[in-house]
Amino acid sequence: MSETSRFRSTEGSHGALKGAQTAWDMLSEEQMQKHITTGCEELDAILGGGIHCKEVTEVGGVPGIGKTQLGIQLTVNVQIPVECGGLGGKAVYIDTEGSFMVERAHQIAEGCISDLLDNTAHRLKDFPACPERLQPNSFLSNIFYFRICSYTEQIATINYLEKFLEEQKDVKIIVVDSITFHFRQDFDDLALRTRVLSGMSLKLMSFAKKYSLAVVLLNQVTTKFVEGSFHLTLALGDTWSHACTNRIILQSV
Amino acid sequence: MEERGRAEASREELERLIDGGTPYKFAVASQVPMPPTRNPRSAIHAKSPITEEVGEEDVGMEEVSVAIDRQQPPWLNGVELLEDAKWNKHVLPTGCEGIDILLGGGLREGQLTEIVGPSSSGKTQVCLCSALGVADLNLGVVLFLDTCNSFSSHRIAHMVNSQSDTLVKEGKEGRLKRIMSSILCHSVFDIFELMDVLHQLECKLKHQVKSSGNRIRLLIVDSISSLITPILGGKNSQGRLMMITTGILLKKIANEYNLSVLVTNHMVGGEGGSLKPALGESWKNIPHVRLVLSRDQGSNICNVSILKHTIIASGRAAKFVIDN
Repeated sequence: MSETSRFRSTEGSHGALKGAQTAWDMLSEEQMQKHITTGCEELDAILGGGIHCKEVTEVGGVPGIGKTQLGIQLTVNVQIPVECGGLGGKAVYIDTEGSFMVERAHQIAEGCISDLLDNTAHRLKDFPACPERLQPNSFLSNIFYFRICSYTEQIATINYLEKFLEEQKDVKIIVVDSITFHFRQDFDDLALRTRVLSGMSLKLMSFAKKYSLAVVLLNQVTTKFVEGSFHLTLALGDTWSHACTNRIILQSV
Repeated sequence: MEERGRAEASREELERLIDGGTPYKFAVASQVPMPPTRNPRSAIHAKSPITEEVGEEDVGMEEVSVAIDRQQPPWLNGVELLEDAKWNKHVLPTGCEGIDILLGGGLREGQLTEIVGPSSSGKTQVCLCSALGVADLNLGVVLFLDTCNSFSSHRIAHMVNSQSDTLVKEGKEGRLKRIMSSILCHSVFDIFELMDVLHQLECKLKHQVKSSGNRIRLLIVDSISSLITPILGGKNSQGRLMMITTGILLKKIANEYNLSVLVTNHMVGGEGGSLKPALGESWKNIPHVRLVLSRDQGSNICNVSILKHTIIASGRAAKFVIDN
């Protein structure tokens, strides 16, 4: 920034710091903000109305508990049209484990559409354009899928997203399934891993804020020995535990 | 403007001479705003861009060293220091009763306070509480630098509303607006951005009227460790340099403009599985006050203990409650 523009930005009485916002403005913005429903009322209640935009949410659980399922559900739910109370956005799905099932996504989209038609049919009458958009295929076409096969690719993809999001302004959710996989396979230098991961999380944080989108990171779990008993905790260690805004862990009952 | 341009150039040259001109450091140095030259002549006389002949380098060196000598700050005696402490270095309440009693009132202006603790131990809560406390008492403006999207105006609004049934002389909405308007939030996602914001802040503080009611009193960085972790470690020491520079800058702003600075840091596993504050030994001596937070699983009572303090013995502890 040049010297002159810096002086100009300091002229106002207060709040003149460039890019700063008062909490009052943020509050009214936050109240306007819609959340992405997970499709499960209880989970939505825990999360305060669903997955929040501008935040990074981490979801963990043992294999088979339904993390990927939740991820796919969210990529569909984010596309619920504005007229039906959704965000009407698009989704980015970063798949590191190869567990994204397109047939399942198709089923979920069909389910979501039939739910919408049942619940909000009276509202949809006013919007004749909707029926064409409410097709499973149009839902699928708004999911941008990246298949990642190594941690190098993962770093590169996260870096590329910056450019991608600049072009695709409608993207409202980024799901990374899972953030852990490649970093738990063949990464010996733990200190380096911490650095790379925290850099990555800062990057995702900045996307979340800048484009006002939700970031959902799926994570594996590990057991931790605390005071004589084993607890289930999210993987990647203590430093990572600070990297996300919200952390939830799925457990079967 | 002409004069400023030349001064800037000589400043750049000075930086280059001091640092040996590594491009990495230089990228940072170029963001440094011009300090006010005590004597404008020194800036004009100092040699302009390095494109001149090699033979003149010695002359340039001499003038640079003269310029450095002029940077010498004025001295203060003990009485003046005491006066300064009495009139300018107030104590800001954190809003958490336990911590305020422990610290003898709260966060001291002119000092850097650090809160360390494991994930979900209440660090952000203390930050939000302090912001609310300062704004509520009309003490001044709070600047919140947010690195992990943890600032939630919703949470503050909730705290305001839950306590307002006690002594409300003003309308609920009006009070909320007054409090929320004096909290400024800025998102920062890398260390260079943080430096840039701090320099902007310094510039702003320099020009603000001293006695104005809404001056910035409290600066919060939540969390500083998430900015520093990605650059720390490895073979080169530049990351450490950046960390120390940031620390020094924070302390300088705190002292010169009578701000209280509050930063949060996380914990890492140390020897034998016990937790210790992150950022290592070199960061250890930067904060004036270090507090450790911990919370038992499932309870909403936080334990806070002093790890380091300028006047209070370390090891003392207290508790405070986070309500839902």
